[in-house]
Amino acid sequence: MNPMIRKELRQRMRERRGWLLPSLYLIVLGAVVTFAYFLTTSERGASGIQGSTVGVVLFLTLAYSQLALLLLLVPIFSAGSITIEKEQRTLSGLLTSLLTSRQIWWGKFVSSLLFVLLLLVTSLPVLSMAFAFGGVGPWEVFSATLTTVIILACMSAIGLYCSSAFQRSVHATAVTYATVVAISVVTAILFFVRMAMYETGHRGQAVATGGGWYQIPLDIRVPMYLNPFFFLTASFAPIEQLYPAWITSACVFIAIGALAVVLTLRNLRRRGDL
Amino acid sequence: MIDVERLSKSFNGTRALDGFTLHVGAGELFGLVGPNGAGKTTLMKVLSTLLPMDNGTAEIDGLNVNLQTRAVKRLIGYLPDQPGVYQDMSVREFLEFFADAFQLRGTRNRTAVDRALKRSGLADRSEASVEQLSFGMKQRLVLAKTLLHDPKVLLLDEPATGLDPLARIELREQLKQLQSEGITILISSHILSDLEDICTQIALIGGGRNATDAEGHSVLQLRAPQDPVRIYEIELIGDSAPAVNIVNSFTGARTVESSAGRLVAEITGADEQAAALLRALVVAGVNILRFDHRALGLEERYRMVFREKRP
Repeated sequence: MNPMIRKELRQRMRERRGWLLPSLYLIVLGAVVTFAYFLTTSERGASGIQGSTVGVVLFLTLAYSQLALLLLLVPIFSAGSITIEKEQRTLSGLLTSLLTSRQIWWGKFVSSLLFVLLLLVTSLPVLSMAFAFGGVGPWEVFSATLTTVIILACMSAIGLYCSSAFQRSVHATAVTYATVVAISVVTAILFFVRMAMYETGHRGQAVATGGGWYQIPLDIRVPMYLNPFFFLTASFAPIEQLYPAWITSACVFIAIGALAVVLTLRNLRRRGDL
Repeated sequence: MIDVERLSKSFNGTRALDGFTLHVGAGELFGLVGPNGAGKTTLMKVLSTLLPMDNGTAEIDGLNVNLQTRAVKRLIGYLPDQPGVYQDMSVREFLEFFADAFQLRGTRNRTAVDRALKRSGLADRSEASVEQLSFGMKQRLVLAKTLLHDPKVLLLDEPATGLDPLARIELREQLKQLQSEGITILISSHILSDLEDICTQIALIGGGRNATDAEGHSVLQLRAPQDPVRIYEIELIGDSAPAVNIVNSFTGARTVESSAGRLVAEITGADEQAAALLRALVVAGVNILRFDHRALGLEERYRMVFREKRP
Protein backbone atom coordinates (compact mmCIF):
# COMPACT_ATOMS: atom_id res chain seq x y z
CA MET A 1 0.00 0.00 0.00
CA ASN A 2 1.20 3.50 -0.84
CA PRO A 3 2.63 4.87 2.47
CA MET A 4 1.08 8.26 1.69
CA ILE A 5 -2.45 6.81 1.64
CA ARG A 6 -1.93 5.09 4.99
CA LYS A 7 -0.49 8.26 6.54
CA GLU A 8 -3.17 10.54 5.12
CA LEU A 9 -6.07 8.32 6.18
CA ARG A 10 -4.61 7.88 9.66
CA GLN A 11 -4.18 11.63 10.10
CA ARG A 12 -7.57 12.46 8.58
CA MET A 13 -9.52 10.08 10.79
CA ARG A 14 -7.80 11.50 13.88
CA GLU A 15 -9.05 15.00 13.14
CA ARG A 16 -12.15 16.17 14.92
CA ARG A 17 -13.81 16.80 11.56
CA GLY A 18 -13.34 13.06 10.87
CA TRP A 19 -16.56 12.40 12.80
CA LEU A 20 -18.05 15.89 13.02
CA LEU A 21 -18.50 16.45 9.30
CA PRO A 22 -20.26 13.13 8.52
CA SER A 23 -22.60 13.80 11.44
CA LEU A 24 -23.44 17.31 10.28
CA TYR A 25 -23.72 16.14 6.70
CA LEU A 26 -26.28 13.47 7.59
CA ILE A 27 -28.28 15.84 9.76
CA VAL A 28 -28.53 18.43 6.96
CA LEU A 29 -29.29 15.79 4.33
CA GLY A 30 -31.94 14.15 6.53
CA ALA A 31 -33.55 17.52 7.19
CA VAL A 32 -33.68 18.41 3.50
CA VAL A 33 -35.21 15.04 2.52
CA THR A 34 -37.74 15.20 5.37
CA PHE A 35 -38.71 18.70 4.31
CA ALA A 36 -39.12 17.53 0.69
CA TYR A 37 -41.25 14.59 1.84
CA PHE A 38 -43.66 16.74 3.84
CA LEU A 39 -43.81 19.34 1.10
CA THR A 40 -44.75 16.72 -1.51
CA THR A 41 -47.33 14.90 0.58
CA SER A 42 -48.99 18.00 2.00
CA GLU A 43 -49.40 19.71 -1.38
CA ARG A 44 -51.52 17.00 -2.95
CA GLY A 45 -52.91 15.38 0.17
CA ALA A 46 -51.65 12.10 1.49
CA SER A 47 -54.38 10.05 -0.17
CA GLY A 48 -54.12 11.44 -3.68
CA ILE A 49 -50.38 10.96 -4.19
CA GLN A 50 -48.63 8.01 -5.78
CA GLY A 51 -45.82 6.39 -3.80
CA SER A 52 -43.58 6.41 -6.87
CA THR A 53 -43.97 10.20 -7.16
CA VAL A 54 -42.78 10.61 -3.58
CA GLY A 55 -39.89 8.25 -4.34
CA VAL A 56 -38.78 10.26 -7.39
CA VAL A 57 -39.06 13.58 -5.51
CA LEU A 58 -37.04 12.23 -2.59
CA PHE A 59 -34.44 10.76 -4.90
CA LEU A 60 -34.00 13.96 -6.92
CA THR A 61 -33.91 16.09 -3.75
CA LEU A 62 -31.30 13.79 -2.27
CA ALA A 63 -29.18 13.69 -5.44
CA TYR A 64 -29.07 17.47 -5.93
CA SER A 65 -28.70 18.43 -2.27
CA GLN A 66 -26.02 15.78 -1.81
CA LEU A 67 -24.07 17.14 -4.77
CA ALA A 68 -24.41 20.70 -3.46
CA LEU A 69 -23.20 19.70 0.01
CA LEU A 70 -20.31 17.63 -1.28
CA LEU A 71 -19.21 20.44 -3.62
CA LEU A 72 -19.01 22.63 -0.53
CA LEU A 73 -16.99 20.01 1.36
CA VAL A 74 -14.50 18.96 -1.35
CA PRO A 75 -12.30 22.09 -1.05
CA ILE A 76 -11.94 21.51 2.69
CA PHE A 77 -10.38 18.10 2.10
CA SER A 78 -8.36 18.72 -1.04
CA ALA A 79 -7.22 22.35 -1.09
CA GLY A 80 -5.27 22.17 2.17
CA SER A 81 -3.72 18.82 1.41
CA ILE A 82 -0.35 19.91 -0.02
CA THR A 83 -0.24 23.41 1.49
CA ILE A 84 -0.37 21.86 4.96
CA GLU A 85 2.88 20.03 4.12
CA LYS A 86 4.39 23.37 3.12
CA GLU A 87 3.04 25.13 6.20
CA GLN A 88 4.39 22.53 8.60
CA ARG A 89 7.60 22.22 6.54
CA THR A 90 7.34 18.51 5.89
CA LEU A 91 7.17 18.66 2.09
CA SER A 92 10.96 18.62 1.65
CA GLY A 93 11.06 15.42 3.76
CA LEU A 94 8.58 13.78 1.39
CA LEU A 95 10.32 15.01 -1.75
CA THR A 96 13.76 13.83 -0.63
CA SER A 97 12.41 10.39 0.28
CA LEU A 98 11.94 7.67 -2.32
CA LEU A 99 8.28 8.60 -2.74
CA THR A 100 7.61 9.77 -6.29
CA SER A 101 5.57 12.90 -7.06
CA ARG A 102 2.86 10.58 -8.42
CA GLN A 103 2.76 8.60 -5.16
CA ILE A 104 2.50 11.78 -3.14
CA TRP A 105 -0.30 13.09 -5.39
CA TRP A 106 -2.12 9.75 -5.40
CA GLY A 107 -1.97 9.51 -1.61
CA LYS A 108 -3.41 12.99 -1.23
CA PHE A 109 -6.05 12.41 -3.92
CA VAL A 110 -7.23 9.06 -2.61
CA SER A 111 -7.47 10.24 0.97
CA SER A 112 -9.44 13.38 0.13
CA LEU A 113 -11.73 11.55 -2.29
CA LEU A 114 -12.22 8.59 0.06
CA PHE A 115 -13.48 10.86 2.78
CA VAL A 116 -16.00 12.44 0.42
CA LEU A 117 -17.02 8.97 -0.79
CA LEU A 118 -17.49 7.99 2.84
CA LEU A 119 -20.04 10.76 3.11
CA LEU A 120 -21.67 9.52 -0.07
CA VAL A 121 -21.93 6.02 1.41
CA THR A 122 -23.31 7.27 4.73
CA SER A 123 -26.24 8.77 2.83
CA LEU A 124 -27.29 5.32 1.55
CA PRO A 125 -29.86 4.82 4.36
CA VAL A 126 -31.50 8.09 3.34
CA LEU A 127 -31.43 6.95 -0.27
CA SER A 128 -33.07 3.66 0.68
CA MET A 129 -36.14 5.66 1.75
CA ALA A 130 -36.57 6.77 -1.86
CA PHE A 131 -36.32 3.13 -2.94
CA ALA A 132 -38.99 2.16 -0.48
CA PHE A 133 -41.46 4.51 -2.18
CA GLY A 134 -40.63 3.18 -5.66
CA GLY A 135 -40.36 5.09 -8.94
CA VAL A 136 -36.57 4.94 -8.88
CA GLY A 137 -34.60 2.12 -10.47
CA PRO A 138 -31.05 0.87 -9.93
CA TRP A 139 -29.93 2.52 -13.18
CA GLU A 140 -30.90 6.00 -11.96
CA VAL A 141 -29.11 5.41 -8.69
CA PHE A 142 -26.02 4.05 -10.44
CA SER A 143 -25.75 6.81 -13.05
CA ALA A 144 -26.39 9.58 -10.48
CA THR A 145 -23.74 8.11 -8.14
CA LEU A 146 -21.23 7.66 -10.96
CA THR A 147 -21.81 11.24 -12.11
CA THR A 148 -21.38 12.56 -8.57
CA VAL A 149 -18.14 10.62 -8.17
CA ILE A 150 -16.75 11.99 -11.48
CA ILE A 151 -17.61 15.55 -10.42
CA LEU A 152 -16.07 15.09 -6.97
CA ALA A 153 -12.92 13.48 -8.39
CA CYS A 154 -12.52 16.40 -10.79
CA MET A 155 -13.04 18.94 -8.02
CA SER A 156 -10.58 17.09 -5.75
CA ALA A 157 -8.00 17.23 -8.53
CA ILE A 158 -8.61 20.98 -8.92
CA GLY A 159 -8.32 21.43 -5.14
CA LEU A 160 -5.01 19.57 -5.15
CA TYR A 161 -3.75 21.70 -8.01
CA CYS A 162 -4.58 24.86 -6.04
CA SER A 163 -2.88 23.29 -3.05
CA SER A 164 0.29 22.72 -5.05
CA ALA A 165 0.21 26.20 -6.57
CA PHE A 166 -0.27 28.23 -3.39
CA GLN A 167 1.82 28.49 -0.23
CA ARG A 168 -1.04 28.82 2.23
CA SER A 169 -4.13 26.69 2.78
CA VAL A 170 -6.41 29.68 3.10
CA HIS A 171 -5.49 30.92 -0.40
CA ALA A 172 -5.75 27.48 -1.98
CA THR A 173 -9.15 26.88 -0.34
CA ALA A 174 -10.47 30.29 -1.43
CA VAL A 175 -9.48 29.72 -5.06
CA THR A 176 -10.99 26.21 -5.04
CA TYR A 177 -14.26 27.61 -3.68
CA ALA A 178 -14.16 30.31 -6.37
CA THR A 179 -13.81 27.53 -8.96
CA VAL A 180 -16.78 25.67 -7.46
CA VAL A 181 -18.89 28.84 -7.63
CA ALA A 182 -17.69 29.57 -11.16
CA ILE A 183 -18.69 26.20 -12.55
CA SER A 184 -21.89 25.78 -10.52
CA VAL A 185 -23.35 29.29 -10.52
CA VAL A 186 -21.56 31.45 -13.09
CA THR A 187 -22.06 28.91 -15.89
CA ALA A 188 -25.79 28.71 -15.09
CA ILE A 189 -26.18 32.50 -14.99
CA LEU A 190 -24.26 32.81 -18.25
CA PHE A 191 -26.50 30.23 -19.88
CA PHE A 192 -29.79 31.78 -18.68
CA VAL A 193 -28.77 35.32 -19.59
CA ARG A 194 -27.69 34.30 -23.08
CA MET A 195 -30.79 32.13 -23.44
CA ALA A 196 -33.02 35.06 -22.49
CA MET A 197 -31.26 37.28 -25.03
CA TYR A 198 -31.60 34.59 -27.67
CA GLU A 199 -35.31 34.11 -27.00
CA THR A 200 -35.90 37.85 -27.16
CA GLY A 201 -34.20 37.96 -30.53
CA HIS A 202 -36.23 35.04 -31.88
CA ARG A 203 -39.62 35.87 -30.40
CA GLY A 204 -42.44 34.07 -32.19
CA GLN A 205 -40.21 31.28 -33.46
CA ALA A 206 -40.39 27.79 -31.94
CA VAL A 207 -36.88 27.78 -30.51
CA ALA A 208 -37.46 27.96 -26.79
CA THR A 209 -36.23 25.28 -24.42
CA GLY A 210 -39.59 23.62 -24.85
CA GLY A 211 -38.50 22.94 -28.42
CA GLY A 212 -35.69 20.74 -27.12
CA TRP A 213 -32.21 21.15 -25.60
CA TYR A 214 -30.41 20.40 -28.82
CA GLN A 215 -32.28 23.12 -30.71
CA ILE A 216 -30.50 25.71 -28.59
CA PRO A 217 -27.36 26.93 -30.40
CA LEU A 218 -24.19 25.18 -29.24
CA ASP A 219 -22.39 28.38 -28.17
CA ILE A 220 -25.24 29.07 -25.71
CA ARG A 221 -25.28 25.48 -24.43
CA VAL A 222 -21.50 25.18 -23.98
CA PRO A 223 -21.19 26.70 -20.45
CA MET A 224 -23.73 24.18 -19.14
CA TYR A 225 -21.46 21.25 -20.03
CA LEU A 226 -19.22 22.62 -17.30
CA ASN A 227 -22.06 22.79 -14.80
CA PRO A 228 -22.12 19.90 -12.28
CA PHE A 229 -25.88 20.17 -11.75
CA PHE A 230 -26.51 19.98 -15.47
CA PHE A 231 -24.18 16.99 -15.62
CA LEU A 232 -26.20 15.33 -12.85
CA THR A 233 -29.49 16.15 -14.63
CA ALA A 234 -28.13 14.58 -17.82
CA SER A 235 -27.43 11.37 -15.88
CA PHE A 236 -31.16 10.85 -15.25
CA ALA A 237 -31.72 10.22 -18.96
CA PRO A 238 -32.24 6.63 -20.15
CA ILE A 239 -29.01 4.86 -21.08
CA GLU A 240 -29.60 5.20 -24.84
CA GLN A 241 -29.94 8.98 -24.46
CA LEU A 242 -26.74 9.60 -22.51
CA TYR A 243 -25.05 10.81 -25.68
CA PRO A 244 -24.30 13.63 -26.28
CA ALA A 245 -25.22 15.61 -23.13
CA TRP A 246 -23.94 13.27 -20.40
CA ILE A 247 -21.00 11.97 -22.44
CA THR A 248 -19.92 15.51 -23.36
CA SER A 249 -20.10 16.68 -19.74
CA ALA A 250 -18.24 13.57 -18.57
CA CYS A 251 -15.47 14.21 -21.11
CA VAL A 252 -15.24 17.88 -20.08
CA PHE A 253 -14.96 17.02 -16.35
CA ILE A 254 -12.48 14.20 -16.94
CA ALA A 255 -10.36 16.46 -19.19
CA ILE A 256 -10.32 19.27 -16.60
CA GLY A 257 -9.44 16.77 -13.88
CA ALA A 258 -6.63 15.28 -15.99
CA LEU A 259 -5.23 18.74 -16.72
CA ALA A 260 -5.29 19.53 -13.00
CA VAL A 261 -3.37 16.29 -12.29
CA VAL A 262 -0.69 17.11 -14.89
CA LEU A 263 -0.24 20.64 -13.54
CA THR A 264 -0.10 19.42 -9.93
CA LEU A 265 2.58 16.86 -10.75
CA ARG A 266 4.55 19.54 -12.59
CA ASN A 267 4.35 21.80 -9.52
CA LEU A 268 5.48 18.98 -7.24
CA ARG A 269 8.40 18.14 -9.51
CA ARG A 270 9.44 21.78 -9.78
CA ARG A 271 9.89 21.95 -5.99
CA GLY A 272 11.21 25.47 -6.13
CA ASP A 273 8.80 26.94 -3.64
CA LEU A 274 9.36 24.71 -0.65
CA MET B 1 32.25 12.15 -2.40
CA ILE B 2 30.62 15.53 -3.08
CA ASP B 3 31.84 17.29 -6.20
CA VAL B 4 30.39 20.63 -7.17
CA GLU B 5 31.85 22.44 -10.16
CA ARG B 6 30.94 26.01 -11.15
CA LEU B 7 27.37 25.64 -9.92
CA SER B 8 24.88 28.39 -10.74
CA LYS B 9 21.27 28.86 -9.73
CA SER B 10 19.07 31.93 -10.19
CA PHE B 11 15.67 32.89 -8.84
CA ASN B 12 13.79 35.47 -10.91
CA GLY B 13 17.03 36.97 -12.17
CA THR B 14 18.76 36.95 -8.77
CA ARG B 15 21.82 34.72 -8.67
CA ALA B 16 21.74 32.61 -5.51
CA LEU B 17 24.71 30.53 -6.67
CA ASP B 18 27.20 31.95 -9.12
CA GLY B 19 29.83 29.45 -10.20
CA PHE B 20 30.38 27.88 -6.78
CA THR B 21 32.86 25.01 -6.57
CA LEU B 22 33.28 22.51 -3.74
CA HIS B 23 34.97 19.15 -3.26
CA VAL B 24 34.32 17.07 -0.15
CA GLY B 25 36.22 13.84 0.34
CA ALA B 26 34.68 10.61 1.62
CA GLY B 27 34.32 10.43 5.40
CA GLU B 28 34.91 14.15 5.94
CA LEU B 29 32.95 16.39 8.24
CA PHE B 30 32.95 19.48 6.09
CA GLY B 31 31.63 22.89 7.13
CA LEU B 32 30.06 25.56 4.98
CA VAL B 33 30.01 29.12 6.27
CA GLY B 34 28.92 32.42 4.88
CA PRO B 35 26.63 35.32 5.71
CA ASN B 36 22.85 35.22 5.31
CA GLY B 37 21.88 35.04 1.64
CA ALA B 38 25.30 33.64 0.68
CA GLY B 39 23.70 30.67 -1.09
CA LYS B 40 24.22 27.93 1.53
CA THR B 41 20.60 26.76 1.64
CA THR B 42 20.31 26.90 -2.16
CA LEU B 43 23.43 24.72 -2.43
CA MET B 44 21.97 22.24 0.06
CA LYS B 45 18.68 22.14 -1.86
CA VAL B 46 20.45 21.53 -5.16
CA LEU B 47 22.54 18.73 -3.63
CA SER B 48 19.45 17.18 -2.03
CA THR B 49 17.70 17.12 -5.46
CA LEU B 50 15.04 19.60 -4.36
CA LEU B 51 16.16 22.30 -6.79
CA PRO B 52 17.42 21.83 -10.33
CA MET B 53 20.62 23.75 -11.09
CA ASP B 54 20.93 26.18 -13.98
CA ASN B 55 24.57 25.61 -14.87
CA GLY B 56 27.58 23.63 -13.71
CA THR B 57 27.70 20.13 -12.31
CA ALA B 58 26.98 18.59 -8.93
CA GLU B 59 27.76 14.97 -8.18
CA ILE B 60 27.45 12.82 -5.10
CA ASP B 61 29.50 9.62 -5.20
CA GLY B 62 29.75 10.11 -8.96
CA LEU B 63 25.98 10.46 -9.43
CA ASN B 64 24.61 13.58 -11.10
CA VAL B 65 22.10 15.18 -8.71
CA ASN B 66 20.06 16.62 -11.60
CA LEU B 67 19.80 13.47 -13.67
CA GLN B 68 20.08 10.57 -11.22
CA THR B 69 17.80 11.95 -8.53
CA ARG B 70 16.43 8.64 -7.31
CA ALA B 71 19.87 7.08 -6.88
CA VAL B 72 21.10 10.25 -5.19
CA LYS B 73 18.12 10.19 -2.78
CA ARG B 74 19.14 6.69 -1.69
CA LEU B 75 22.62 8.02 -0.88
CA ILE B 76 21.79 11.17 0.98
CA GLY B 77 20.08 12.22 4.17
CA TYR B 78 18.91 15.83 4.08
CA LEU B 79 18.06 17.91 7.12
CA PRO B 80 16.54 21.26 6.07
CA ASP B 81 17.09 24.50 7.97
CA GLN B 82 13.60 24.41 9.46
CA PRO B 83 12.56 20.77 9.49
CA GLY B 84 8.94 19.93 10.12
CA VAL B 85 7.26 17.05 11.89
CA TYR B 86 3.78 15.57 11.90
CA GLN B 87 2.51 16.71 15.28
CA ASP B 88 -0.45 14.32 15.33
CA MET B 89 1.66 11.17 14.98
CA SER B 90 3.47 9.23 17.64
CA VAL B 91 7.28 9.15 17.50
CA ARG B 92 7.22 5.55 16.27
CA GLU B 93 4.54 6.25 13.64
CA PHE B 94 6.57 9.19 12.34
CA LEU B 95 9.68 7.05 11.90
CA GLU B 96 7.69 4.11 10.49
CA PHE B 97 6.15 6.35 7.84
CA PHE B 98 9.52 7.64 6.66
CA ALA B 99 11.05 4.16 6.79
CA ASP B 100 8.15 3.12 4.55
CA ALA B 101 8.81 6.13 2.31
CA PHE B 102 12.39 4.84 1.91
CA GLN B 103 10.98 1.46 0.91
CA LEU B 104 12.04 -0.29 4.10
CA ARG B 105 9.36 -2.90 4.63
CA GLY B 106 8.66 -5.57 7.25
CA THR B 107 11.62 -6.55 9.43
CA ARG B 108 13.89 -3.93 7.83
CA ASN B 109 11.38 -1.25 8.75
CA ARG B 110 11.17 -2.38 12.38
CA THR B 111 14.95 -2.72 12.69
CA ALA B 112 15.57 0.71 11.17
CA VAL B 113 12.95 2.35 13.41
CA ASP B 114 14.27 0.66 16.57
CA ARG B 115 17.82 1.70 15.73
CA ALA B 116 16.68 5.28 15.01
CA LEU B 117 14.84 5.40 18.34
CA LYS B 118 17.95 4.18 20.14
CA ARG B 119 20.24 6.52 18.24
CA SER B 120 18.07 9.56 19.00
CA GLY B 121 17.60 8.61 22.63
CA LEU B 122 13.83 8.60 22.15
CA ALA B 123 13.26 4.87 22.71
CA ASP B 124 11.40 5.50 25.95
CA ARG B 125 9.15 8.01 24.23
CA SER B 126 8.35 5.98 21.14
CA GLU B 127 4.62 5.97 21.82
CA ALA B 128 4.47 9.64 22.84
CA SER B 129 2.92 12.15 20.48
CA VAL B 130 5.45 14.17 18.48
CA GLU B 131 3.58 17.27 19.66
CA GLN B 132 4.70 16.57 23.24
CA LEU B 133 8.42 16.58 22.41
CA SER B 134 10.67 19.55 23.17
CA PHE B 135 12.33 21.43 20.30
CA GLY B 136 15.62 19.65 20.89
CA MET B 137 13.92 16.25 20.92
CA LYS B 138 12.10 17.07 17.69
CA GLN B 139 15.42 18.00 16.12
CA ARG B 140 16.85 14.65 17.28
CA LEU B 141 13.81 12.89 15.86
CA VAL B 142 14.24 14.58 12.47
CA LEU B 143 17.95 13.71 12.42
CA ALA B 144 17.06 10.11 13.30
CA LYS B 145 14.53 10.12 10.44
CA THR B 146 17.26 11.41 8.12
CA LEU B 147 19.44 8.42 9.07
CA LEU B 148 16.75 5.74 8.68
CA HIS B 149 17.94 4.48 5.29
CA ASP B 150 21.66 4.49 6.19
CA PRO B 151 22.74 7.34 3.93
CA LYS B 152 26.39 7.63 2.93
CA VAL B 153 26.19 11.41 2.83
CA LEU B 154 24.47 13.79 5.24
CA LEU B 155 23.49 17.30 4.17
CA LEU B 156 22.71 19.35 7.26
CA ASP B 157 21.44 22.88 6.86
CA GLU B 158 21.75 24.83 10.12
CA PRO B 159 21.03 21.80 12.32
CA ALA B 160 21.95 23.56 15.58
CA THR B 161 19.71 26.60 15.16
CA GLY B 162 17.44 27.02 18.17
CA LEU B 163 19.06 24.27 20.21
CA ASP B 164 20.08 24.89 23.81
CA PRO B 165 23.80 24.46 24.72
CA LEU B 166 23.32 20.91 26.00
CA ALA B 167 21.46 19.85 22.88
CA ARG B 168 24.20 21.44 20.76
CA ILE B 169 26.86 19.45 22.58
CA GLU B 170 24.84 16.26 22.03
CA LEU B 171 24.46 17.10 18.35
CA ARG B 172 28.21 17.66 17.99
CA GLU B 173 28.93 14.33 19.67
CA GLN B 174 26.41 12.60 17.43
CA LEU B 175 27.96 14.11 14.30
CA LYS B 176 31.45 13.05 15.38
CA GLN B 177 30.11 9.56 15.98
CA LEU B 178 28.48 9.49 12.52
CA GLN B 179 31.74 10.64 10.93
CA SER B 180 33.61 7.88 12.71
CA GLU B 181 31.10 5.45 11.14
CA GLY B 182 32.31 6.63 7.72
CA ILE B 183 29.45 8.98 6.83
CA THR B 184 30.42 12.06 4.84
CA ILE B 185 28.82 15.15 6.34
CA LEU B 186 28.35 18.59 4.80
CA ILE B 187 27.07 20.99 7.42
CA SER B 188 26.19 24.66 7.15
CA SER B 189 25.97 26.69 10.32
CA HIS B 190 26.34 30.17 11.74
CA ILE B 191 27.62 28.74 15.02
CA LEU B 192 31.30 28.88 14.17
CA SER B 193 32.54 27.47 17.46
CA ASP B 194 30.55 24.28 16.76
CA LEU B 195 32.03 23.95 13.30
CA GLU B 196 35.52 24.62 14.63
CA ASP B 197 35.07 21.82 17.13
CA ILE B 198 33.93 19.14 14.69
CA CYS B 199 34.88 20.00 11.12
CA THR B 200 38.04 19.03 9.30
CA GLN B 201 37.64 21.69 6.63
CA ILE B 202 35.40 24.67 6.05
CA ALA B 203 34.40 26.21 2.74
CA LEU B 204 33.68 29.92 2.55
CA ILE B 205 30.72 31.11 0.51
CA GLY B 206 29.62 34.66 -0.16
CA GLY B 207 27.29 36.05 -2.82
CA GLY B 208 26.88 32.58 -4.28
CA ARG B 209 30.61 32.33 -5.02
CA ASN B 210 33.66 30.85 -3.32
CA ALA B 211 34.90 33.47 -0.87
CA THR B 212 38.62 33.61 -0.06
CA ASP B 213 40.69 34.70 2.92
CA ALA B 214 43.73 37.01 2.73
CA GLU B 215 45.93 34.14 1.53
CA GLY B 216 43.48 33.25 -1.21
CA HIS B 217 42.15 30.09 0.46
CA SER B 218 38.49 29.32 -0.21
CA VAL B 219 38.68 26.25 2.02
CA LEU B 220 40.05 26.60 5.54
CA GLN B 221 41.99 23.68 6.94
CA LEU B 222 41.02 23.34 10.59
CA ARG B 223 42.98 20.23 11.40
CA ALA B 224 45.98 20.59 9.15
CA PRO B 225 48.61 18.09 10.33
CA GLN B 226 51.54 20.47 9.86
CA ASP B 227 51.21 24.14 9.06
CA PRO B 228 54.56 25.34 7.63
CA VAL B 229 54.17 28.85 9.04
CA ARG B 230 53.02 29.24 12.64
CA ILE B 231 52.45 32.21 14.86
CA TYR B 232 53.81 32.17 18.42
CA GLU B 233 52.88 34.59 21.15
CA ILE B 234 55.71 35.21 23.68
CA GLU B 235 55.23 36.94 27.04
CA LEU B 236 58.37 37.95 28.93
CA ILE B 237 59.57 40.02 31.86
CA GLY B 238 61.26 43.33 31.04
CA ASP B 239 62.27 44.86 27.75
CA SER B 240 61.40 42.86 24.65
CA ALA B 241 64.21 44.35 22.46
CA PRO B 242 66.84 41.62 23.21
CA ALA B 243 64.25 38.93 22.47
CA VAL B 244 63.31 40.64 19.19
CA ASN B 245 66.97 40.61 18.14
CA ILE B 246 67.31 36.89 18.93
CA VAL B 247 64.13 36.03 17.05
CA ASN B 248 65.11 38.03 13.98
CA SER B 249 68.60 36.47 13.91
CA PHE B 250 67.16 32.97 14.21
CA THR B 251 66.85 31.03 10.94
CA GLY B 252 63.23 30.63 9.83
CA ALA B 253 61.87 33.10 12.39
CA ARG B 254 60.85 36.76 12.35
CA THR B 255 59.11 39.20 14.66
CA VAL B 256 55.62 40.15 13.53
CA GLU B 257 54.86 42.63 16.29
CA SER B 258 56.40 43.61 19.61
CA SER B 259 55.57 45.72 22.63
CA ALA B 260 56.78 45.93 26.23
CA GLY B 261 56.74 42.43 27.69
CA ARG B 262 55.22 40.85 24.60
CA LEU B 263 56.12 39.84 21.09
CA VAL B 264 54.58 37.85 18.29
CA ALA B 265 56.89 35.70 16.19
CA GLU B 266 56.35 33.81 12.96
CA ILE B 267 58.23 30.52 12.76
CA THR B 268 58.59 28.45 9.63
CA GLY B 269 59.20 24.75 10.14
CA ALA B 270 58.29 21.88 12.41
CA ASP B 271 57.80 21.87 16.21
CA GLU B 272 61.55 21.34 16.68
CA GLN B 273 62.22 24.77 15.18
CA ALA B 274 59.98 26.43 17.80
CA ALA B 275 61.62 24.41 20.59
CA ALA B 276 65.07 25.52 19.39
CA LEU B 277 64.03 29.19 19.40
CA LEU B 278 62.62 28.86 22.94
CA ARG B 279 65.89 27.26 24.05
CA ALA B 280 67.91 30.09 22.44
CA LEU B 281 65.82 32.72 24.22
CA VAL B 282 66.21 31.03 27.61
CA VAL B 283 69.96 30.51 27.12
CA ALA B 284 70.31 34.24 26.25
CA GLY B 285 68.74 35.08 29.62
CA VAL B 286 65.30 36.22 28.45
CA ASN B 287 62.76 35.61 31.22
CA ILE B 288 59.92 33.83 29.40
CA LEU B 289 56.50 33.76 31.06
CA ARG B 290 54.55 32.25 28.18
CA PHE B 291 55.46 30.74 24.81
CA ASP B 292 52.25 29.84 22.98
CA HIS B 293 51.25 28.66 19.56
CA ARG B 294 48.45 30.97 18.47
CA ALA B 295 46.05 29.38 16.00
CA LEU B 296 43.84 31.87 14.21
CA GLY B 297 40.29 31.10 15.36
CA LEU B 298 37.56 30.43 12.83
CA GLU B 299 35.61 33.38 14.08
CA GLU B 300 38.60 35.66 13.51
CA ARG B 301 39.21 34.25 10.06
CA TYR B 302 35.51 34.52 9.21
CA ARG B 303 35.51 38.16 10.31
CA MET B 304 38.57 38.88 8.18
CA VAL B 305 36.93 37.35 5.10
CA PHE B 306 33.44 38.77 5.38
CA ARG B 307 33.73 41.98 7.43
CA GLU B 308 34.88 44.22 4.58
CA LYS B 309 32.42 42.62 2.17
CA ARG B 310 29.41 43.48 4.31
CA PRO B 311 27.18 46.10 2.66
